[in-house]
Amino acid sequence: MVEWKKDLGLEGRMILTMFLLAAVYLFFLVFLASMGTPQTFMLLFIALFMGAQYYYSDKLVLWTMNARLVSESEEPKLHETITRLCVIAGLPKPKVAVVDTSVPNAFATGRGPKNAVVAVTTGLMRKLDQGELEAVLAHELSHVKNRDMAILTIASFISTLAFYIVRYSFYFGAFGGNRRNSNGGFVAIWIVSILVWIISFLLIRALSRYREFAADRGSAQITGNPVNLISALRKISGTMANVPTEDLRKVEGMNAFFIIPAVSGSMMSLISTHPSMEKRIAALEKIQREIEL
Amino acid sequence: MGIRDMFNSVLGRGKVPEAKTDRLFAISTAVITLEMNLNLKPSSVAGICFKSMEMSKYQNAREEIEQLLKFSTKETGTDYNIEKDEYNFLWVLLKDKDFEDLVTNIHMISQTLIEEGFGGQILCAVYRFESDGPVYWIYNFKQGNYYPFAPQGKNNRDNSMEFRLKSLMEKELPIEKDVGKWYPLWTMPF
Repeated sequence: MVEWKKDLGLEGRMILTMFLLAAVYLFFLVFLASMGTPQTFMLLFIALFMGAQYYYSDKLVLWTMNARLVSESEEPKLHETITRLCVIAGLPKPKVAVVDTSVPNAFATGRGPKNAVVAVTTGLMRKLDQGELEAVLAHELSHVKNRDMAILTIASFISTLAFYIVRYSFYFGAFGGNRRNSNGGFVAIWIVSILVWIISFLLIRALSRYREFAADRGSAQITGNPVNLISALRKISGTMANVPTEDLRKVEGMNAFFIIPAVSGSMMSLISTHPSMEKRIAALEKIQREIEL
Repeated sequence: MGIRDMFNSVLGRGKVPEAKTDRLFAISTAVITLEMNLNLKPSSVAGICFKSMEMSKYQNAREEIEQLLKFSTKETGTDYNIEKDEYNFLWVLLKDKDFEDLVTNIHMISQTLIEEGFGGQILCAVYRFESDGPVYWIYNFKQGNYYPFAPQGKNNRDNSMEFRLKSLMEKELPIEKDVGKWYPLWTMPF
């Protein structure tokens, strides 16, 4: 009998992060209200902006990534592999896209399981064997199943508000010219916004890393083979280190959605969207032990 | 989406749904209607497909299935063989003139996998019928439903035939309502 234990530590850290984020946001909104900043308009504006971004995420990401949707007759094997994994995971089948680049990578996007797109690069299909490809696809399908796109969009909502205040408040003068009409109030709003933005940024990045661990777990559970994901991660990161960075720079903004971040190295572990390779492999090895022993 | 699903999503706990075998047997009564009224003859072959894994516990489960198969097929006079397809999935292929025996053996295999903790990794069970060409009834263990699959050539399917089968068999067979889940299996090993 195979037992899939829950990772209570991981779930606990996730809840704590979300809780802290909510607390920071609540504080920020109360603070803005107390300063007399007209936030309803700004919130509406950002909600509209992020809503659109979220709603069109599938098309938007495919477009920025230069990915093209492929039909079943174009990529029969890729389609069939994804179909089989979806049957096992109990997910509706997503659209399938391919990016023409030798850089091995994969990502998933879309606002929910019914509108999801899973994309792989041609380099990934060339580099990995069937088992490894399956593991990577199962990781992406787990992102879809866990609704990571929605969760990270919601998590970064107020953070975006803080960012806009930091970025644009100078243009608008005292940002709504608070009723007290003092420069002190303006500076305070600016400083608090910057702090909120930095703290929430770190928390969102932490959440993003926990979601990666969760997707790795999901992959192991769907395929029943944690080792396949380990060898896929090793292979991908091995190649990532050797490719020139020029064509990678374009995709920097997409990092959070990749199986392996395209840009890394100099980045500190604190602000990375992904946990380090060693930590991911260690976590997968632990799962392997749990189910085997 | 239910509260429970929402909760699991938020915790990143995306679970693999368990296999449902309760409606697997519905095919054994439906087969009479299929043969009498629709002229779909059972071709006395069936198969069950599940993921192959590199886990010692899985190897044990597989050995147990083989033991049970040896035993039960001797009793029912069923031929069987096990093969791996190009996606690294395992097929247990069964051959028997008696349709009931095919269903019993498929149920036995799925039950063993579930008991060993691999129910989540069962892909489907397939029964082959003959009309002008092959017509398959595929049982999806996650949904606990059947759906028809009538391939034509390499990657075409006879949709009108499939829809006809759905409307005619709906009362007798639990058929998947969402046509988007009628997944084809182009590389059927039989």
